[in-house]
Amino acid sequence: MILENSEISGRIDLQKKIEAVAKYWSLIFIALLMIIFSFTGKGFLSLSNFQNIVHLSTVFLLLAGAETFVIITGGIDLSIGFIMGFSSVFSAKIIQVMYSGGASEMVSIVVGSISGLILSLIPGIVNGILIAKYRVPPFIATLGMWGITNGITLKICQGFPISSLPPKLVEIGNSYLLYIMPHKAMSFFRIPPGVADENIRNLIRIFPSSLFFSITVLTILWHLLKNTKFGQHTYAIGGNMDAAIRAGINVKRHLIYIYTLSAFLSGLAGVFNVFQTGIGNFTPYNAMYELFAIAAVVIGGASLMGGKGSIIGSILGVLLLKILENGLQISGIEPFYRFIAVGIILIIAVIIDQLFPDLF
Amino acid sequence: MQSLPLNKRMLIFVGKYWALMFLILETILFSFLSHGFLTLRGIQIIFFFGTAIFLLGTAETFVIITGGIDLSVGFIMGFASIVSAKIIVALANSGVSPAWSISIGVVLTMLIGLIPGYINGLLVARLRVPPFIATFSMLAVTHGVSELLIQGVPAKNLPYLANAIGNGYFIYIIPGKVVSFFNKPTASFRGETLLEIIPNVVVFSFILIGIFGFILKRTKFGQHTYAIGGNVDAAIRAGINVKRHLTLIYVISSFFATSAGIIYMLKYVTGKADAGAGFLLDSIVAVVIGGASLYGGKGTVGGTILGCLILAVLETGLRIMGVSTFDKYIAVGVILIFAVLIDQFFPELIHKGD
Repeated sequence: MILENSEISGRIDLQKKIEAVAKYWSLIFIALLMIIFSFTGKGFLSLSNFQNIVHLSTVFLLLAGAETFVIITGGIDLSIGFIMGFSSVFSAKIIQVMYSGGASEMVSIVVGSISGLILSLIPGIVNGILIAKYRVPPFIATLGMWGITNGITLKICQGFPISSLPPKLVEIGNSYLLYIMPHKAMSFFRIPPGVADENIRNLIRIFPSSLFFSITVLTILWHLLKNTKFGQHTYAIGGNMDAAIRAGINVKRHLIYIYTLSAFLSGLAGVFNVFQTGIGNFTPYNAMYELFAIAAVVIGGASLMGGKGSIIGSILGVLLLKILENGLQISGIEPFYRFIAVGIILIIAVIIDQLFPDLF
Repeated sequence: MQSLPLNKRMLIFVGKYWALMFLILETILFSFLSHGFLTLRGIQIIFFFGTAIFLLGTAETFVIITGGIDLSVGFIMGFASIVSAKIIVALANSGVSPAWSISIGVVLTMLIGLIPGYINGLLVARLRVPPFIATFSMLAVTHGVSELLIQGVPAKNLPYLANAIGNGYFIYIIPGKVVSFFNKPTASFRGETLLEIIPNVVVFSFILIGIFGFILKRTKFGQHTYAIGGNVDAAIRAGINVKRHLTLIYVISSFFATSAGIIYMLKYVTGKADAGAGFLLDSIVAVVIGGASLYGGKGTVGGTILGCLILAVLETGLRIMGVSTFDKYIAVGVILIFAVLIDQFFPELIHKGD
């Protein structure tokens, strides 16, 4: 059968539309979810709830950022969840010891955070050396580190969260840029003086510190991946390792950097978690932060084969999962459905990726 | 091999049998360090608590040989423990005899337990979803469904018979007097030393593992499994129905995870969603220690059992010694990396002897 000209162009139009939908499906999905939840959940569509979503996403945004780099190189990092717990517990322990030993709040916080961050580099360097120099498959090397960091963390904290930390931590982690008391007062960084406790519910808080923190870190990561040589090399290694070697990229060194960066970002997430919660929390063995982060990165359009993925996609992936979780919760649906929903959305993401391979 | 110098032959021997030697060394070490380790009872405890790792390890062996990975085995195990407990309790409450309700419950759960594996297989083989993602999604889904089924309360009120099967032994001997199978000798021998030999759950597990170990080693099905893992394109060209085969592999994996769940239900007389959550790492580690490669094409059930034993001995030994389980995680991580490094450094040594 010979097709009419208009029929052919009609088909191409349709295909273009399908492609556009496939490319931005996570964005469209987020929009759909928001519309649905604004009907089903009371208070879903409010400033405080969105800030809440951002607040709860901070840690996952960092972990997904870490995983994005690793997955683009064609690897995988299963240890990020426990490196996060490790740096959380370690920095909290140092803060606790220094604070109870009489050091000032700020000094103990700064020293504790920095030493937590520095220590979180070690598992990353070990991962990188094992993977790059000794050619251990990333899955195995980071799975081994999964066990080791988990064990060390539990040994440090003996299975209990580390508490009695300086109150300043929570103040910093949960502060807002702007506080507004309608018709009365406005102040930056701290609650306006003279607000009585019974009125505190009316206080409007804008721009949480966690949002500021995530935007800063993610912007740096986005720039690093998109506009620098480091980012180009990352894609090159994931796209074709042999070609990257022949192009003169020092692949081994680069991979070590990638796994160190991943561990550092997980450590950053852990330290920030101390600021948010005010305790040094270990990662429970069935928390599966790493799998959640990988899911977000894959929803964001990355391929486990490497060479594909972006920070913006991963951010969308995290937001999709978190909005889904938050919306289901606000709509009064049992938390168990959340697991099922995550599983199904992940499958949809990959099938879309399979159906339209040229798009991403 | 005869022409090689002695030190080279020694090295090949070490490279090839390091896991076995490690197991022996570990056993000797623990027999000195912990009291009551190397006794009939101690050894049976190792196997009794190891059943879950043995079964999940075998499940993972099949998948890993094809070059895939199955992250869902742990939660399929929990799912099966809940489903079987629910069915058995429902039947027992409606007046069916304990023996029948347990048999029906086990058979039904075995069938239901194939569903997650079948879906995994369809996703991986037909829709070309990477195994990591497909089985992770199945992990989330089975976790959610399990939690929905039990609503946060572990299943209970199972008939006593379940406990009797799960914690019973295959042979009971009172030395010099009586031997009986499955049931304890009658009360007239009270006060005598009763030897209990081979827990029932170990018998069940090893029958299953033996059958599938035979299938992998001796049948065409096993050959095809290695062929797919070695080179998918070659396997397709050789006329193997790769899609159907891969689907079956994930069904087998799910079958073993379901068996582990049912055995968990019999052992602990309850069903819990996270019954197998902690065993995922262990099962993959055991397979890798046993000489499998995550790139596919290598691995044996025997090797996996060896790997499982290394972990089970480690865990039981540490437990008897009273060391915190925190150290177990570190030890498992170190052994895992160590195993892969050996594989990396002596590839020609290990595989020349084949």
